Amino acid sequence: MTFINNIKYSFQKYGFLIEQLVSRDFKVKYKRSMLGILWSLLYPILMMIVMAIVFSNVFKFSTPGVNYLVYLLTGLTFFNYFSEASNLAMSSVVGNFSLINKVYIPKYIFPLSKCLFVGINLLLTLIPLYIVIFATGTGINFYHLLLPYALLCLFLFTVGMGFILSTISVFLRDMFYIYGIIITIWTYLTPIMYDISMISSKLQIFLKCNPLYHYINFARTIILYHQCPTIGQFAMCGVSAAVVLFLGMFVFKKNQDKFIYYV
Amino acid sequence: MKKKNIMIKADHVSMRFNLGIDKGFSLKQWFVDIGKHKKKEKKEFWALSDFDFEIERGEVVGFIGSNGAGKSTLLKVIAGVMKPTKGQVKTYGNICPMIELGAGFDPQLTARENIYLNGAVMGYSKELIDSKFDEIVEFSELKDFLEVPVQNFSSGMVARLAFSIATIVEPEILIVDEILSVGDIAFQAKSEAKMMQMINGGTTVLYVSHSLESIKKLCTKVVWIEHGVVQKIGGKEVCDEYYKYMLLSQEKIN
Repeated sequence: MTFINNIKYSFQKYGFLIEQLVSRDFKVKYKRSMLGILWSLLYPILMMIVMAIVFSNVFKFSTPGVNYLVYLLTGLTFFNYFSEASNLAMSSVVGNFSLINKVYIPKYIFPLSKCLFVGINLLLTLIPLYIVIFATGTGINFYHLLLPYALLCLFLFTVGMGFILSTISVFLRDMFYIYGIIITIWTYLTPIMYDISMISSKLQIFLKCNPLYHYINFARTIILYHQCPTIGQFAMCGVSAAVVLFLGMFVFKKNQDKFIYYV
Repeated sequence: MKKKNIMIKADHVSMRFNLGIDKGFSLKQWFVDIGKHKKKEKKEFWALSDFDFEIERGEVVGFIGSNGAGKSTLLKVIAGVMKPTKGQVKTYGNICPMIELGAGFDPQLTARENIYLNGAVMGYSKELIDSKFDEIVEFSELKDFLEVPVQNFSSGMVARLAFSIATIVEPEILIVDEILSVGDIAFQAKSEAKMMQMINGGTTVLYVSHSLESIKKLCTKVVWIEHGVVQKIGGKEVCDEYYKYMLLSQEKIN
């Protein structure tokens, strides 16, 4: 219980700082653009239109029985969150060295606040997602109330990855380049634009080791197939998120006192 | 057992830096090193060695010594920014570190937004900043520039804003690293008066400065550090010894 209490205490003490850091990111991101926060809505829609045209018309991808647009956008919404948040979290510790070197702030705040910042963006991109869900006649059902579970798992998984990546990047600056390649490979290994059944069954087993697949699959089960996810799906999402989160916390905590020597 | 009047206790504190690993591990270097049999020699640098002292409530301690002697490192260790390699520092009471003012500023945000951001970085609550907002603005004399991004400020204006934010709390331990020289003459006098007011209020102060004059004026105890080692701890007379030492080493060079 002391662990829970510690977390509660940290949020009381550093909640305001996290709030300030997140709102700073927002202000800086949209300050000079004319459309401002509208970009959070427009960007995914425009991206989706481009990808939908390319994949359904040029490559003739389709998903039998369900709407391809909704299928694509569900995957994109989840994967884009992970990709952007993990990238920002990775550079957050190195990027804030000047601050870490001068004032005492718990260092985990930097990757965490980046994941939260992109998380608010994620919630905004749900608006275009639901517009498409209604516009295509896919419709909603009661199981949509379970979607926050998938989003929470995605968030916790990303925070864990953010801790691991930001720790590695302090000691190994090459990580910024390496991760760019990793994330590109990851995009293609995640069934975002294609259906996993299009792949040979041997490779499917490999692809299912990817936690992101399970979060996206959880959401698609609800949104596209109007079904309640199975207990197995719940467990896969929860366990993978918890394992990566705790691994990240462990790695970060173990190394954070050494960060200061690598400025 | 916690003694009531001791505010800071440094227990054989040492701080080591490895000069060889300044830019971290890089893949290229790793590949280059594979071919070599010898491991790269690590250059060690002891920024602090075996610091052992106690500071009591209400003391105003001045730290002197030449550039790179380890003064700022010591303050960072006390403030909790760095963890010492050996030994430990215990502090009793809340600390306000004024080590590098304005470190938490975001140049793209306005002065108003930065007051909240920097306040949060310093560990203030929203309520505290709300209630002291007018005081900060008034003290910094930047009322007309509240909605201007800080990147358009002059360095003097930035320093004034940072000083005003840092000094609104009444900390039990105040750490000051050479900031009294901020702003113009009028603001210098004002900030010095503010410092005096805090000192008279019973705050324990750690003060680093190259101005022996201001050290003599403010401090009750002086610690002279050279090459990461405490040379002498004593009263104001340590300043004179330090001055003589500096003159002597100057003569040697000539």
